[in-house]
Amino acid sequence: MSQTTAKGFFDSIEETLIGAILGLMTLITFANVVVRYGFNSNILWALEVTSILFAWLVLLGASYCVKVNAHLGVDAVLNLLSNSVRKALTLFAAALCILYSVFLLKGGWDFWAGYANLPGTTGRWFPTGFESDFLGKGWYETEDVVMPESLQFMSDIFNEGERYEKMPRMIPYFMLPFGFALLLFRFLQAAIMVYRGERETLIVSHEAEDAVEEAAAKLAKGE
Amino acid sequence: MEIAILFGLIITLLLVGVPIAVALGLSSILFLLVASESSLASVAQTFFEAMAGHYTLLAIPFFILASSFMSTGGVAKRIIRFSIALVGHMHGGLAIAGVFACMLFAALSGSSPATVVAIGGIVIAGMREVGYSKDFAAGVICNAGTLGILIPPSIVMVVYAAATEVSVGRMFLAGVIPGLLAGFMLMTAIYIVARVKKLPKGEWKGWGEVLSAGKEAAWGLMLIVIILGGIYGGIFTPTEAAAVAAIYAFLIANFIYKDMGPLAESGGGSINLLKKPWALLTAFFHKDTRDTLFEAGKLTITLLLIIANALILKHVLTDEQIPQQIAESMLSAGMSAVVFLIMVNVILLIGGQFMEPSGLIVIVAPLVFPIAMELGIDPIHLGIIMVVNMEIGMITPPVGLNLFVTSGVAGMPMMRVVKAATPWLGILFVFLIMVTYIPWLSTFLPTHFMGPEIIIR
Repeated sequence: MSQTTAKGFFDSIEETLIGAILGLMTLITFANVVVRYGFNSNILWALEVTSILFAWLVLLGASYCVKVNAHLGVDAVLNLLSNSVRKALTLFAAALCILYSVFLLKGGWDFWAGYANLPGTTGRWFPTGFESDFLGKGWYETEDVVMPESLQFMSDIFNEGERYEKMPRMIPYFMLPFGFALLLFRFLQAAIMVYRGERETLIVSHEAEDAVEEAAAKLAKGE
Repeated sequence: MEIAILFGLIITLLLVGVPIAVALGLSSILFLLVASESSLASVAQTFFEAMAGHYTLLAIPFFILASSFMSTGGVAKRIIRFSIALVGHMHGGLAIAGVFACMLFAALSGSSPATVVAIGGIVIAGMREVGYSKDFAAGVICNAGTLGILIPPSIVMVVYAAATEVSVGRMFLAGVIPGLLAGFMLMTAIYIVARVKKLPKGEWKGWGEVLSAGKEAAWGLMLIVIILGGIYGGIFTPTEAAAVAAIYAFLIANFIYKDMGPLAESGGGSINLLKKPWALLTAFFHKDTRDTLFEAGKLTITLLLIIANALILKHVLTDEQIPQQIAESMLSAGMSAVVFLIMVNVILLIGGQFMEPSGLIVIVAPLVFPIAMELGIDPIHLGIIMVVNMEIGMITPPVGLNLFVTSGVAGMPMMRVVKAATPWLGILFVFLIMVTYIPWLSTFLPTHFMGPEIIIR
């Protein structure tokens, strides 16, 4: 019982975040149009912030879509196979998804680390250790995003005490390693569920599948 | 050779049940790690830039959001009522109205399965009541539903525009004539069949009903006026137009139609805003709003994840100059534009059966586009050909996606839907041939309104 409430709690955090980011993107873009025509002005940071939120939406949401099985795929062949073969293939597919997330997590960390004065990993395919020699780029700022005063403490840690005029890039890019780590976690979880027989596939064949099921359920009820 | 391995790998991964996004990304990453100098960090950067660096793609979440607010049952009902009032009195009237409703709904939503669910869910049952056979009803709606991706605004067109860097505005305009043409071809065919088979016709309820139904539906249909008018009037960019449309759709759904939000009542009635003025604020945080935002967000994520990974693939293809190599060997083999277009037709028809159209277009476009440019094919024309191909792929047996959706919505076995849809499929095939070999159909409007296109190779 306690497990289900905990699950519901995380579901609602993720769902609210996804909705909130999309809502914020829409409002900012709309506000910029209003400001342009109503006040003959321009919100300088609007475009960059919207673009960053867009990237965050997808990076953060990718793992959630694994959890609720919303990723699009091709099930034409899988549907022709017997249950046991399908399960074996799906496990194989899950292993590939895990490999993919590991690659992306390494790439995401390596890319972000430089901007956060942290060492990237060595190794071309898989992380073999941390670089001992690296050039921190903690000073690297975004183009137009305003730096909130409450985050200025970061300048002491990452910028040798020099105040940030704009938000440093480490903040938007942080979502790369974070999102990919979540993705890896969800694919591992999905693989275990497939193995235990709690879940059949990793994919749906089109985005309206839920809606079709609802319609079919209505028909079955005789409406 | 390398290209064959790369695409072979992608297809194999797809068939064993790997999500499209992962199949594209993983194959490309493996290829990069083995065959090039690029690092995983650069892959991560490409990934981030796919969203943060493509202003065009930013239109997709907003279009999806706008159509989510508009896809509530109420809007579909109003559009259907308007369609019936307008054409329901003709022979085969309800079927023709169904096609017309699909065309109108396609102008609010950018997706074909969504159109079939929204319109088909209501119209198929209605057609059966007045005496059409279930097969006739399902066949008609299944075909008309595919117009969803051809009539602007269309998500598939935005994806094509982003993948090939042509203008979204031009693509939208280019879809207008073919979209209307396909709709009218279907309606004419239904009319002829109806005369021959003596199908039921509804009664003419007079201009009063047309006006009052039209007034109701107009709030929703204004959406496309805002989008197209805004873009071509030079008022805003396609991305901004989409965001404005999303806000507009939100306001209409909450405060005019009251299908959702604080003013909707569970029994289907609604509350006057004056009695509940605080709804103006609470609508933004209402559970219905939150759910719609979330559903639109989820769809955005799954589509964009595919697109982001396809952009990694595109990165690989451009790095290795693969399309250029293929183009060269094709040209030296003496291939003509006509033969090339037939090849594109066939590839997309097959692919369109298995895959969601946006996903397919991001995979095929970077490969086909440079070759088409070498052969002197108009980029906008090519885009429309690709969209129409995928439309037809979705209803081509054995496994078209719209067939599945219709079978679910109509509660019919798959094989019966296939049989029901096939006669109408012939019309769309004729339409495809017309669109492929009469470039004027696609290029007239964009050239007329936006001037001749400048093609940069």
